[in-house]
Amino acid sequence: MRSVLPTTSVGSFPKPDYITRARTALAQGKISPGELQELELKAVAHWVRIQEELDMDLLVDGEMYRGDMVTYFSEHMEGFAISGLVRSYGNRYYRKPVAVGPVGRRSAITVEWWKHTQALTKRPVKGMLTGPYTIADWSFNEYYNTREEFIMDLARLVREEARDLERAGAKYIQIDEPAVSTRPEEMDLASRALGVVTKGLGAFTVTHMCYGDFAKVFDQLTALPVDMLDLEMANAGYALLELFRGHPTDKYVSMGVLDVHDHRVEPVEEIVAGIRRGLEVFRPERLFIDPDCGLKTRTEEETVGKLRNMMAAVGRVRGELGGG
Amino acid sequence: MLVTAVGSYPKIGPPAKAPSLRAAIHRLDAGQIDGQELRRIEDETTKEVIQQQVEAGLEMVTDGQVHWEDGQTYFARGIKGFAIHGLIRYFDTNTYYRQPVPEGKLEWQGPIAVEDYRLAVASSPRPVKAVITGPCTLARLSQSGCYGDVASLARELAQVLNKEALALQEAGAPLIQFDEPAIVKWKEDMALLEEVSHTVTRGLTTRTAIYTWFGDVASVAPDLFRLPYQVFGLDFVWGPANWGVLNHFPPEKELGLGIMDGRNTRIEPVEELVECIRRAARHVSLDRVHLSPSCGLDYLPRENAVKKLKRLSEAARRAREVLA
Repeated sequence: MRSVLPTTSVGSFPKPDYITRARTALAQGKISPGELQELELKAVAHWVRIQEELDMDLLVDGEMYRGDMVTYFSEHMEGFAISGLVRSYGNRYYRKPVAVGPVGRRSAITVEWWKHTQALTKRPVKGMLTGPYTIADWSFNEYYNTREEFIMDLARLVREEARDLERAGAKYIQIDEPAVSTRPEEMDLASRALGVVTKGLGAFTVTHMCYGDFAKVFDQLTALPVDMLDLEMANAGYALLELFRGHPTDKYVSMGVLDVHDHRVEPVEEIVAGIRRGLEVFRPERLFIDPDCGLKTRTEEETVGKLRNMMAAVGRVRGELGGG
Repeated sequence: MLVTAVGSYPKIGPPAKAPSLRAAIHRLDAGQIDGQELRRIEDETTKEVIQQQVEAGLEMVTDGQVHWEDGQTYFARGIKGFAIHGLIRYFDTNTYYRQPVPEGKLEWQGPIAVEDYRLAVASSPRPVKAVITGPCTLARLSQSGCYGDVASLARELAQVLNKEALALQEAGAPLIQFDEPAIVKWKEDMALLEEVSHTVTRGLTTRTAIYTWFGDVASVAPDLFRLPYQVFGLDFVWGPANWGVLNHFPPEKELGLGIMDGRNTRIEPVEELVECIRRAARHVSLDRVHLSPSCGLDYLPRENAVKKLKRLSEAARRAREVLA
């Protein structure tokens, strides 16, 4: 992996239509789980090839086999049921996990997918986990007396999963905690749970958070027990950079330079400007470049267009730095 | 003690006899039905959710807000000068709303909620309260747009929503509730809330309420209770510090006692709820208590909402026996 402005992705990529259709067909009993999995494997291979062609450094599997980042884990854990329909907005509804008993893990959840993906490429592939705070926050809880008990029990499970990934050979493990940004005042709780997950891991650890009002909890943010903070930046006009300015951190930072909610493919020049702003605050050896968040809501064309321009922008800045 | 709702009710889900609202909205989007047909199905759903609230034992109901896209859009689209922009998260929930943006001077063009209110009254054997998203909250959850800042927008909205409140009073509403959850998050707005509360309630002779949720009002409580409303709705589930403010709850006011979690499917045991009522009764005479969930029920699947409301009524019956 390159040492100057390494590039990666936050996690999800758009699913090909054949996956969406196959998931519906499975729900209707028209195909078997094995048939769906064949297609998911094909889609993972497709996205690995795209990332290699784009010359990205640290790859992901694109989460072709995950419906939703919380439900995927709850479905593979013990102690969870699934709720009736809850409204998300407008006419959109979803089902939420419900903790109905002590949470447990029957076996490793993501390890086989990681091994399969890593076998497709010589480049490193990140192990991708959803963090305990986010799993708890996006679930109903009918079992635990307090949120904290629920979160800390989940932290122990996610730790086991992280250790299994490491044993399988993962050198990079990301633990996503997007829910923290909606309630920065609970950063301390999220941090303690994350500490349970990462304690004793040798792998390089990352946590992803969405944009939030982190000003009051900045010290806690930079003290999170991970090696790298992966932060949304582009969609908030790089406002978070200002918090870091004048407050040097020894953490690696992965800076989002693509707004994942925008259909537009950002011009190279615009991304270059964003990266330069990042370099006013971070050293190039400590700064990763990636999209703001998962890209699953974009089309494949938009996704590849955005990533291609991101790579072109990184290439240009690396050239200016005399590296890469 | 009066058992009542805070506001929203799940729009879809079992038990349902009315035609599917979800399917109707899909058909509208596909151009297969027109707005009038959708309106007819929304009306039928409204009748159904009122019936369900009454059967669950509520003594005062709302129309369930079936016609509301969300608490902001419903009013904003009826006010001249507002444009409705993209989706944004509602406080710290996983529910989203479309953000209103004022693009010109805001003007009341005629009643927004009155037709829906009249339908609810005609469909309900119990009194129906009218609900309006309060000026501070509507301003905070909108962009300030051409008004430049939250205070200017809130002041204008207070003028506009006062006309709406007068229209609802004219339609016979025995209680008009102003939703002001934003004060929980932006306590610095207390002086502004006081100012706009006088504007928005001007000329009202019917009873009025202010409801808050998702947190406590501890740091603004004495000022809050001086505002020109009769009923003060507080969330004791997500704001346990609200128990402390009851020590100085004014004896001439009425308390909205939100003790059943509107954001979790766990069904509270009767004894737990009775204990909460007992605790409140130490500070507030029970004939001045409006017992309710902690917030609207849009965050729950309908089947859970029904069970929870029944349990709340059961707790009210039990409390009347043991605390009489």
